[in-house]
Amino acid sequence: MTKRLLDLGYGLARMSLQAIGIVVLVFFMCRIVPGDAVDRLALEGNLTAAQETRLRAEMGLDRSLPVQFADWAGSALQGDFGVSLRYHRPVSEMLANALPSTLRLAFLSFLVGLAIAVGIAVAAVMTGSRWLAGLVNLVNVWAIALPTFCVGVIAILVFSIWLGWLPVLGGLLMPVMIIGIDNAGQIGKPLFEELREAATSAHVRTARAKGLRPWRIALFHLLPTALPVALAMSGLVLAGLVAGTLTMEILFGLPGLGSLMLNAIHGRDYPVVQAAITVAAVGLVVVNALIDLVHHTIDPRLSR
Amino acid sequence: MKTPLLAMSRRQLIAGVAFATLASTLPLPLVAEEVSRGGVLHYATLGLDTSDPHRHTGSIAVQQLYVEALTSIGPDGGVEPFLAESYEISDDGLTYTFTLREGVKFHNGDTMTAQDVVANFERVKENISGGWLASAMKLVGTVEGRDERTVVLTMTEPYAPLANLLSELWIVSPKSEGWDETITTPIGTGPFSFGEWQPQLRLYAPAHNDYWRGEMPYLEAVEANLRDDLDKASAMRAGEIHIASVPRDVAGQLGRSGDIRVSTLKDSTWYFVSFNNRNPRPPFDNPKVREAIMYAVDKQAFMNFMAGEDGVVTNQMVMPGHVYFDQELHDADRHAAPDLDKAKAMLAEAGVTPEEITIEFVSWQENYPQVVVQMVRQLGFKVNHVALDDLGAQNRLGQYDWDMNAMASGPRADIFLRFVRLMSDGPNPVLWGGIQDADLDATIKAAVAEPDEAERKALYLDAWGRVMDGYYTVVLGHAANTIAMREEVQGYEPGFTWSPNWATGGIAQTWLARD
Repeated sequence: MTKRLLDLGYGLARMSLQAIGIVVLVFFMCRIVPGDAVDRLALEGNLTAAQETRLRAEMGLDRSLPVQFADWAGSALQGDFGVSLRYHRPVSEMLANALPSTLRLAFLSFLVGLAIAVGIAVAAVMTGSRWLAGLVNLVNVWAIALPTFCVGVIAILVFSIWLGWLPVLGGLLMPVMIIGIDNAGQIGKPLFEELREAATSAHVRTARAKGLRPWRIALFHLLPTALPVALAMSGLVLAGLVAGTLTMEILFGLPGLGSLMLNAIHGRDYPVVQAAITVAAVGLVVVNALIDLVHHTIDPRLSR
Repeated sequence: MKTPLLAMSRRQLIAGVAFATLASTLPLPLVAEEVSRGGVLHYATLGLDTSDPHRHTGSIAVQQLYVEALTSIGPDGGVEPFLAESYEISDDGLTYTFTLREGVKFHNGDTMTAQDVVANFERVKENISGGWLASAMKLVGTVEGRDERTVVLTMTEPYAPLANLLSELWIVSPKSEGWDETITTPIGTGPFSFGEWQPQLRLYAPAHNDYWRGEMPYLEAVEANLRDDLDKASAMRAGEIHIASVPRDVAGQLGRSGDIRVSTLKDSTWYFVSFNNRNPRPPFDNPKVREAIMYAVDKQAFMNFMAGEDGVVTNQMVMPGHVYFDQELHDADRHAAPDLDKAKAMLAEAGVTPEEITIEFVSWQENYPQVVVQMVRQLGFKVNHVALDDLGAQNRLGQYDWDMNAMASGPRADIFLRFVRLMSDGPNPVLWGGIQDADLDATIKAAVAEPDEAERKALYLDAWGRVMDGYYTVVLGHAANTIAMREEVQGYEPGFTWSPNWATGGIAQTWLARD
C-alpha cells in the first residue's frame, strides 16, 4: 500500500513538473513571437508611438520577462488569471464560457470512441467473424489515414450542405462522431489483438467448457484481461483530445478552449493563452494521474 | 451652407455614376414583394473588440448595429446627415451647427437631446486617446447645446474631413453602464440594441422597437458571428449565415451555387509597395533606384492575380470614379507596364549591382507579396522575404530595419484617413514606411483646411504627386472587398465602408424573404 502511494506521489510529482514546464515554456515562447497586444491596438486603433509606449507600460509589457512571469504565476496560484488584454474581461470568465464546450465534446467523443472500440473488438473476437475483424482494421486505418479536419469538411458537405440534416454551426453530433471514430480507431486495434490473445487463454477456454453464455465470457473473462490495454490507449487518446477538439471547434463553430487559445495567440492576448494552456496542462496531469490510479487498481501486478 | 437630407453634391454625382455602372453588372435583388417582418439575420463580417463604442480598435462594423452618429457615409462615399437632420458649416469652416432629428429614442426609451450629443463629444475629446478621431478632436474648441435639438461645434481651425469623421463618433446615452470608465452596456439609438455579447463568439442584437426610422427595423434580431476562424463558406451554403465577408475566390464559388449572390463594398482596398522611408539604407534611399525597381513590377499581372477581371490598375490611392481620382495623372503612369531593360539600365546608371544586394522584404502571410518578390528578383536582387502574421508584421515594420514591403489597406470614411497615414506624425504609418516629409505634411494640412472642394482636390493631388516623386509608396491597384448574401436577404446592398447601417440604407431596412 505504501509503495502504491509512493508510486502515485512520484507519478503526480513528475506530471506536475511536466505541467509547470509546459506553462513556463509557453509563457516565454509566446513572448518570443514578434508583436504584442499593443501592436494589435496599434494595427486597428492607429496609435502614435508615444501612445504605444504608454500602453505597454500600463499593461506591464515593458517589464522584464522573469518579473512578468513571477507576477503572473503569483496571481494564478491564487486563482486570479487576470484580465484579457484585448477584451478587458476577466480571463476566468472567458475560460468558464469555453471550458464546458470543450469538456462536453471531449467527454462525449471519448465515450463514443470507447464504446465503438470495445463493441466491435469484443464482437469480432467472440464471433470470430472475419467481417468484424475487417471492420476493426478499417476503423484503425481510417483513424490513421484520414485527418479529422478532412473528414469534417466532407461531413459538412454531405450532411449539412447536400442533405441538410445537421447544422454546421454549433451542432455536436458530427464532431462527436468524427473524433469518436478517430478515437475508436486508436483504441480498437490494440484492444482487439489483446482480446484475441486473451480468448485463447486457459481461463476463457475453461469458461467456454463450462458452457457459460458468450456475453458472460466477454464481460467477466475477456474484458478484464484487456482492460489495462484499453486504459493505456485511452490515456493516449485523452491526451490528444485538446488538440483533436480544436479542429472540430473551428470547423463547427464551437466556442471551446481550443479556439479561445488560437484566437488569443493570434491577438497576443497573453493572459488568455497562459490561462488556457495552464488549464489544459493541469487537466492532462489530473487525467493521467487518474488513469494511473485506475491502472494500478485493476492490475495489482503494477504495484508489486 | 445648409445640407438637406437627400441633396446630391458634384462629388456624390460623379462617384454615384461610377458605382452605378459597377453595380449594374451585379445581380441585385428586385424588391417587388411585400416586406416580411421578423426572423433573425445571421451576419459575419468583422469582429467586435470592445463594448465601448468610443474605444473601438478598428472593428467598427458590428457596433454600428446598435450605435449611430450625427452623420453617415452613403454608398457613394458622400456624407449624409444621420442622427442630425441637417447641418450647416459657416463660410470660414469653423462653426458647425447640427439640427438633431426629432424623436430619436435611445434603447432605454430616453429621447436623445443636444446635451447627450455634447456629452459624447466631451467624452471622446477628454477620455479617448488614439484612434481616428483623436487628431480631429484636438481641433475642437467648444461644443454646446443651444437648445434641445441644436448642437453648435466650434473648431480652432478649419478641418474639412470633420463631417465625414463624425460618422464614427457614435452617440451613446450617458446613462450607459461604465460611462465614466469603459462602457460595458452601450445604450445607443441604432436599429438593434446591444443584447448578449460573448467576445470572439457572438453578439445577439434584438430589434429596437422605438427606432426612429418608421417601421424599421424589419428583422426581429441580428446575430453577429464574431469568430475569426469561422468557415463562412460552409455556413453560408448550409443557410446558417445570411451575410458574410468572404475572400474573392470563395465568393466566386459561392456565387455559382445559385442561392447566394455576391456584391462588394463600394470603396476599394488598395494594394501598394512601400519603401522604408524613415530609415532607408543605401541604395534604397535613392528615388532613382526605387523607380528602377518599380519598373520590374508588372502591375497588371499583379492585379490579375489579386482580383482577375475585377482588379483595377492605377497609380493613385483611390480608384477611377472617386472624386479625388485624377485621370490625367492616371494616364501618365510610367509604371503602367513593366520595363525590365529600363530598370536594369537605371540600376547600372545608379551604380547598383543587384546581385550583390539582399532586399529585406516584409509582408503579411498572404500570397500576393510573393508575386512582387518574384518580379523584383528578375533584376538580380536577392530577396529575404519575411512573411509574418498581422501583429508580427506590425512589430517588424515598426523597427524600420527593412527595405521594401507589399501591403494593402481597406475602405475609409474620408480621403484624409488615407493621407493621414503618410504624415510624419500620422497614426500607424508603418505600412507606408514611416514617411518623414515636412513639405508633404504641410500640403496635406493645407488640403484639410481648405473649404473649397476643387481647391482641396488640387492640394491633395499635389501631396500625392510628392509621394509619387519620392517613391515613398507606389500603388499597384485596387480591388473591392467581396460580400456574399443569401438569396432570402432582401433590401440589403453593401455600403461604402464596412458599416452595415447608414441613413439611406443598410441593415435597418433589411428583411428575410420567407419560402
